[in-house]
Amino acid sequence: MTNNNITKNTLKRTGGLLLAAAMSISMVFGAGQALADTDYPTKPVRILVPFGPGGLADITMRLAGEKLSKILGQQFIVENHPGAGGVAAANELLKADPDGHTLVVMSNGTTIATSLFKKLSYDPQKQFAPISTLAWFDLGLFVNPDSSYDTLQSLVAKGKANPDSLNIATVSPGSTQNLAAEFFLSVTGIKANIIPYRTSPDTLAALLRGDVDLVIESPTAYSGAIKGKQVRVLAITGAKRNPSLPDVPTVKEAGVDGYEVSGWNALYTRVGVPDDVIAKLNAAITEVANMSDIQEKFFDLGIVVGALTPSEMADRFEADRKKWSAVIESAGIEKR
Amino acid sequence: MDTFSNLALGFQAAMSPESLMFCLIGVTLGTFVGVLPGIGALATISMCLPLTFYLEPMPALVMLAGIFYGAQYGSSTASILLNLPGSAPAAITCLDGYPMAKQGRAGVALFITTIASFLGGSFSILLMIGFAPALARFAISFSSADYFAIMVLALTAASTLSIGSVTKGMAMVALGLLLGLVGTDISSGAARYTFGMIEVSDGVSLVALAMGLFGVSEILTNIMRGDVVVVDAKSITMRSLMPTRKDMKRFWPAAGRGSIIGAIVGMLPGTGPTIATFMSYSAEKRLAKDPSIFGKGAIEGIASPEAANNSSVQAAFIPTLTLGIPGDAIMAVMLGGMLIHGITPGPQLILENPVLFWGVIASFWIGNVFLLILNIPLIGIWVRLLTIPYHMLYPAMLFFICIGVYSVHNSTFDVLLTLIFGVLGFALSRYGYSPAPLLLGFVLGPLLEEHFRRALVLSRGDLSVFIERPISLIFLILTSVVLLMSVGWFRTLVGRLSPKRLFRRPTNE
Repeated sequence: MTNNNITKNTLKRTGGLLLAAAMSISMVFGAGQALADTDYPTKPVRILVPFGPGGLADITMRLAGEKLSKILGQQFIVENHPGAGGVAAANELLKADPDGHTLVVMSNGTTIATSLFKKLSYDPQKQFAPISTLAWFDLGLFVNPDSSYDTLQSLVAKGKANPDSLNIATVSPGSTQNLAAEFFLSVTGIKANIIPYRTSPDTLAALLRGDVDLVIESPTAYSGAIKGKQVRVLAITGAKRNPSLPDVPTVKEAGVDGYEVSGWNALYTRVGVPDDVIAKLNAAITEVANMSDIQEKFFDLGIVVGALTPSEMADRFEADRKKWSAVIESAGIEKR
Repeated sequence: MDTFSNLALGFQAAMSPESLMFCLIGVTLGTFVGVLPGIGALATISMCLPLTFYLEPMPALVMLAGIFYGAQYGSSTASILLNLPGSAPAAITCLDGYPMAKQGRAGVALFITTIASFLGGSFSILLMIGFAPALARFAISFSSADYFAIMVLALTAASTLSIGSVTKGMAMVALGLLLGLVGTDISSGAARYTFGMIEVSDGVSLVALAMGLFGVSEILTNIMRGDVVVVDAKSITMRSLMPTRKDMKRFWPAAGRGSIIGAIVGMLPGTGPTIATFMSYSAEKRLAKDPSIFGKGAIEGIASPEAANNSSVQAAFIPTLTLGIPGDAIMAVMLGGMLIHGITPGPQLILENPVLFWGVIASFWIGNVFLLILNIPLIGIWVRLLTIPYHMLYPAMLFFICIGVYSVHNSTFDVLLTLIFGVLGFALSRYGYSPAPLLLGFVLGPLLEEHFRRALVLSRGDLSVFIERPISLIFLILTSVVLLMSVGWFRTLVGRLSPKRLFRRPTNE
């Protein structure tokens, strides 16, 4: 379904309008059915975002919240509750009634947190009920255009020949970007320094001034630098090429097997929220994901829109949890 | 000449009725959230972001930016009138602004800060017009070693911030550094001094600290003492708001120095206006002929930080617009807003979308003119605030502080923390410990550590990196000079060499 949705978006762009239109109609029909079952929402709905304002998750949720308000007839209000491992947002959700009027944003960062923290104060798989994913994104492997690294292979060769010589910058330890770097080192067998920076712009500045050789970061955060040719993208970490960077190979295509990282943002609520409410929310998000203006906005941001059913969402969470816990294990990262 | 034709293009775009209207809305909103303690530009801009989805990119950006720099104008108002900073950078304005209000010169202080804000803002806008791309490249050439050296210089400035004993000042710096350590360590991800409380896993909130130490503690002090400035409303005439000629003579050079310091600090990603205002204040005190006037209502003590504040927030747009590198959280939200509107800030922006780039810069200046026009008449109204009996005023002040602090992270814990810091601040000032050095230590500590450690990781543990990099070396030499200045014989030596006797040690009697 993930791949279906992503393919669908690409199809729509390349002209496969009929298929997409047919699917949208079935989705709208589905939404109509759910409407009959419950009078949810009866009051404004809070979307708790576990990050500060301005980030990818925040922006995508604000865009989607706007649309959800229109579809469901109540305000969807984004609240930022930043804090390590999403704990602040999770606690806030657990304080709320299980009536579906409080939602939380989970990301693949949450799947990392479950393995990284010795005792996470909440269990996302037992206490939270999945609704749907909203956004999918991949990461890019960026180098300075003045560097000698033309291909991913040349960087890997240099790293292997000179252990401990490469500097790799990522944002904070335990982030998807940071673990994607650890994962890259363990797959390629390179020894290098992974240097954590506070923010994505900090990593860009470090790359531009030549302090580091490689940055793993989302192409969205680097969109200005990509357009301005200040950085070179060696590869994209997703299973498929990024539609906004069609010329850049995937890591696999660039010759490194067994490496794939794609991130997502999804809406969850508390366990105990009635199934018909979840179904109604899922239908509404699916409708949002099929709106052409949302798809365009997200495409401009370098993100792919895509909904999942609640059970697909649960499977995806479990798959990513296993993957990251293996990475944490093999990289020997100390749990906190 | 190219710049002028571009600028003409920009003004043309910025003067459209739509842009003018949204600019006015933005700066007005900004002024008010600036005046209210705690509620800052960040919360306001995030809340307004979805509203701009329906606007064209240009008016949307003009409005969001207006909120940001408008808030800096307002933030000193309550610092002066009530010793209650509207935002953390304005905390330093309390030091000399509030004594001025006590002397019945609140109107003059507000007038001075408004003009200083305008000068500071205009200075950085001019820099942006003339040299934005070059300055941005210069700014990002600062590596971790260089940042470390700058932070060391800023830290030596901390000792001058305290009124009274230097030892007590240094103790406060140390306490601030310790408080700054609380939270997740950026290098390892380990939680430090959080005692298992997730509320402080991202560190102690700067807003909670500033509001508690300055705002709440002041309220407590006044309630305990019961002596509060009472101003006769009839005595407030337009005439009494005007600074004297002597005031203005002291004002100009201070505002000029503040503008320059603000611009330099502001364009460096990751520093922010709080460091700019604190550094400019301590520079004034170091350069003053008679440093003992500071803390008692010195014009320089409000003119320079206010100019630095506005200069730094305008300069923060330089790396954001020209390189797509936002320097702080507010700039990151602005960048997010631009991306939503399909604008990608970066080196190509100036070429691909010159109307927008120059239009936004032109709107900054128009916005600053609006703010000047808006704020001068407001002074009369603000000063009348002082005629409200304190027992009616302080519940409202506490109310706004709580709402403001809560709005930053939607956290009730932060509100509690503010009250605790308020009690701490009250106790500290009773025993002659001033809160300003604590705040500076708190802001600098994490940066100092982060950059020191990263510089050493990059150099593979080689300490010589700090003297091999020219920028770092220059700042370390400056630091040594500042430190040596406090040693008697060195000062005499310099005094003999320099006819102007530029350097003098602050007297801390």
